[in-house]
Amino acid sequence: MTHTSDILARVSQAIRDVIGEDWIQDETIEMSTSFANDLELESIEFVALAERLQNEFGERVDFVAWLSTMELDAIIGLSVGDVVEFIASCLS
Amino acid sequence: MVMTHGLLTGSLATWFYTTAPALAQSHRVLLYDLRGHGRSARTASGYDTQTLADDLTALTQSIADPITLVGHSYGALIALKFALKHPARVARLVLVETPLPPSRMEEFTQFVQQSPDAMINALPAAMQSMFSDGGSNRRARRLLESLRFLTAECSLVPDLLAETDVTNESLAAIECPVLAVHGASSSLRSVGQRLAQTIESCSTVELPGGHYLPLESSQALTETIVGFCRG
Repeated sequence: MTHTSDILARVSQAIRDVIGEDWIQDETIEMSTSFANDLELESIEFVALAERLQNEFGERVDFVAWLSTMELDAIIGLSVGDVVEFIASCLS
Repeated sequence: MVMTHGLLTGSLATWFYTTAPALAQSHRVLLYDLRGHGRSARTASGYDTQTLADDLTALTQSIADPITLVGHSYGALIALKFALKHPARVARLVLVETPLPPSRMEEFTQFVQQSPDAMINALPAAMQSMFSDGGSNRRARRLLESLRFLTAECSLVPDLLAETDVTNESLAAIECPVLAVHGASSSLRSVGQRLAQTIESCSTVELPGGHYLPLESSQALTETIVGFCRG
């Protein structure tokens, strides 16, 4: 599972960079962490995160195609783990 | 394809979470935040449609082929202004809920006269859920900050109130295919008739919902735009 934990570490760093506020630097980010309820990420910050992860992991990870299959409620309900597993599935 | 969003609560997320991902399956789609909105710089001035259309000109400078412009609300007005200024650069126009004339943006004028808290309460339920639920309400706080800036700390409201109508003569000069989309329960419904009467190449579609069609009728709007671009 080194693979998943490596992706989680990189996603967590991207989240800290996008939010860019002091509190998030020491915040624990886990697979179960919810973007909306735990991190209270703004919709526009999630877009910035998706773009960043896209650049970091390359074109095999197609966030836009993934999001095109989801309703707004499902996007709002995403956890960090959902994104990590999506990236892992693209890279495997 | 370049998509422009509406004022205040709008950002490129308006399109990113609704119709843009589906459109991106068949088109190259460019989204951006208007000045003062989303993650773009908060400038003190320049919220009139002419300046915002100039921003769009600068942004699309490197795109060689004529573009399809899709705008919602004030974003539709910006797209329209861009098309009037650079007709050769526009392949198609999709105008969703265009506030014409700008001075009859009754909903908007009422909207900005409220306190930021009341503004959030006045939004459709789908949008409220994006901004406020649970936790320390970081999102609600940041939205309030943004609304406070846009309505009280920059020239947006005076710029908007000073906007003049686009004349029927200018509208009649538009030659590219135009699609005007309106919400069946929106106060801007009648704008569709005016656009269809003045622009020869304009067709109109009415979808269920009010002003916030990208959220309220996301899928139908996507299908309408895809169909229009294919036709």
